[in-house]
Amino acid sequence: MATSSEPILCMTDIDKHFPGVIALTKARLTVRPGEVMALMGANGAGKSTLMNVLGGVISPNGGTIELSGATVAFQSPRDSKAAGIAFVHQELTMFGTMTVAENIFIDDFPMASQLTDTRRMRAEATRLLDLVGARIEPDMPVEQLGTGDRQLIEIARALRRNPKVIIFDEPTSSLTDRERHRLFEVVRSLRQAGAAVIYITHFLDEIFAVCDRVTVMRDGTTVSDNAIAEVTAADVVRLMLGPTEEAGRLRPPTPSSASALVEVSGLSRSGALRDVALSLRPGEIVGLWGLLGSGRTELIRALMGLDPIDDGRITWFGDGQGRSVTPTELCGFAGLVTEDRRGEGIVAPQSITDNVALPNLGHLSSALGVIDGRRAEKLACETMNRLSVKASGPQQAIGTLSGGNQQKVVLGRWLAVQPRLFLLDEPTRGLDVSAKTDILKLVVELAQSGCAVLFVSSELGELMRVADRYLVMSRGQIIDDLPPTASEDDLMRAVA
Amino acid sequence: MAVRKHPSFRQFLADRGFFIVLALTFALFSVATDNFLSVGNVFGVIHSMTPLAVMSVGMALVVMTGKIDISVGSVAFLSTSIGVIAMRDYGFGPLAACALTLLVGVVCGAVNGVLVARFGVDPLITTLGSMIAFRGLGLQLTNSVMLQLPEATRASGNIAVGPVYLDILFGALVIVGFHYLHTRRPFGRVLTAIGNDVVAANKVGLPVDRVVFQSFVISGLMAAVAGTMTALQLGAVTAFLGQGAEFNALAVIVVGGISLTGGRGNLLVGIPLGAALFEFIRNGLTHLGADPYSYRLVGGVVIFVAMYADAIRTKLLASRRKLIIDG
Repeated sequence: MATSSEPILCMTDIDKHFPGVIALTKARLTVRPGEVMALMGANGAGKSTLMNVLGGVISPNGGTIELSGATVAFQSPRDSKAAGIAFVHQELTMFGTMTVAENIFIDDFPMASQLTDTRRMRAEATRLLDLVGARIEPDMPVEQLGTGDRQLIEIARALRRNPKVIIFDEPTSSLTDRERHRLFEVVRSLRQAGAAVIYITHFLDEIFAVCDRVTVMRDGTTVSDNAIAEVTAADVVRLMLGPTEEAGRLRPPTPSSASALVEVSGLSRSGALRDVALSLRPGEIVGLWGLLGSGRTELIRALMGLDPIDDGRITWFGDGQGRSVTPTELCGFAGLVTEDRRGEGIVAPQSITDNVALPNLGHLSSALGVIDGRRAEKLACETMNRLSVKASGPQQAIGTLSGGNQQKVVLGRWLAVQPRLFLLDEPTRGLDVSAKTDILKLVVELAQSGCAVLFVSSELGELMRVADRYLVMSRGQIIDDLPPTASEDDLMRAVA
Repeated sequence: MAVRKHPSFRQFLADRGFFIVLALTFALFSVATDNFLSVGNVFGVIHSMTPLAVMSVGMALVVMTGKIDISVGSVAFLSTSIGVIAMRDYGFGPLAACALTLLVGVVCGAVNGVLVARFGVDPLITTLGSMIAFRGLGLQLTNSVMLQLPEATRASGNIAVGPVYLDILFGALVIVGFHYLHTRRPFGRVLTAIGNDVVAANKVGLPVDRVVFQSFVISGLMAAVAGTMTALQLGAVTAFLGQGAEFNALAVIVVGGISLTGGRGNLLVGIPLGAALFEFIRNGLTHLGADPYSYRLVGGVVIFVAMYADAIRTKLLASRRKLIIDG
């Protein structure tokens, strides 16, 4: 139902450089009134930066923004709001102890004789809540409402200035199915009312459900703008991921014939994982493949006991016969690399020695429980030599190393523990090409030494260099198990 | 065990607990002593607690943002000292001196506000520093001696209409005014929003820094007002004026059910209730002939119980919320 009217918003050749990083180069986005535009892109493609430019949060280094035909330059979020652009943020900005009506009007209260006009607020809030299909009392404190209702209040707040352009940033990531469909209804009615909607999501089915056009971004620039009828889901995935780098496999596929090391069945976590079953065998590298938001990270976290699970059974065969274990127990058998290296992987201000010692404190301690500093340092030196970590010495603070060397230490510290299972969540994120290869080589070495490895990466090309088979995830479920011979095309089709 | 079987009873205690404690305290002292429950005594207690309530209501705005201002006692001392010196040495009239006193309170609050809102210094550290510095400055200016108020103004703190002291009416007006400021002015609503979630408040584009700054200024101003009221009641500014008052005010706030984590609480009910509980316990103990040093012990126990009730309340809310989201 894309209309052929003039664009209401035209962002042309937007450039944005941060120190050391080029976030946007010649990014474009055109939206017409009465149109829902999907904005897609992998992590780091520049969607958020582009929307922050539009929202007045950051100012671009180059390019023009035209709103209703006039060139605009936003100095602050306030400017952008005043110009008729509304932003529904991914993280809810609700104030729990305050009422629904107050939350809607928090940044601009209607006043009557020096006080907030509660009567007008209530009436206006009722109208807006009606508009978004929420059945909530405006006088209710928000803390007594669920996530779905809060999301709708957030939208009601965005609508109260009758915006011309509304940005939805992953609005469904925390909604149930029913709430999702209610949200789609809201988006459709906004379109009906002639607003332009920019809809950011990681879920492909949603764009086909509510969007009229789709703009795809990759590496900080806009790569396509199509009517939704012109493309298939597989096309969109291909556009998002781009051509995969042609880099050879690090080892030929070696499907393991050994019996399983760990078996998982029925693993569920409300809102994140549904009935996940998988088994990992010694010596194999299993690529866990799926788009962002498919539940990859959630699966790793649930397996490690970092998030609670609602249901499921984990059987560990590491000591001969299988026995049922809890995620926390499984964590004790496994080496873990999380996707957030700075936040969860390293203790930045501490030395390499201290960081290497962390999972090894048990056997580095003397009988009295005092850590043997000399042994810890020796272990750090061994690790550094084995993985050729570039540092001035084991006492250098790990935070001052390059990303690749940090990650080597993160992986290396597990080697002394000799776990039989490795769970690696985006271990190469943010590394340069050679550092990536080093890490991948290390992963292959681990598998060769008989470990089972579950490897998550959002870069397909990288996954294809090491994986012995692929588990495909979508919406918290494992939907496919593909052999190592699967082509890039097969894998992209599987998630689309 | 009985408590665990009836979660609603726990909730009732958490929500209404201090009404009950206040009522029980009142009943206990009324029965146990002869003079406690007399019109004169009750109004006398309210009279003496009013400056503390006025100080607490100003500080409560800062607490509402999730921050803290422990310099209020020193601000009360420094500002009144300067006011009295202005009258004694520089020929200020009572009204001009009063204005000067309030101005000093505003300036003190602004110093705190700039450090916290503009330079991002931790509010506890900031106001701990200014608490020491302001009192030090005041002691230097007064040479630590008691300064008498001029004869003409000395009695004005204790003017009463019938049994009702004038400053009780003033205090009541202030609290009602602050209640409206908090619940019905955008300033008060933004204050509460900041206390709920400062990150979200920034993201929505609320004027977080400005409002935090203003809350410290108002806290300083009300400390000066409270100091003036105390000085007028006593007829003098002593070196001990306002000493420890910051902790009494904090106790009033906590006992009044205003959450120290910010965003939660009702000034209109909480401040008078919190202040009354403290003063009635103190007064009742005096009537019982208790050792004056026991006030501190009892006061400490009351604060602890109030904090515990606050923790229970927070936990109950969280579990209620979880039920809603899961269900």
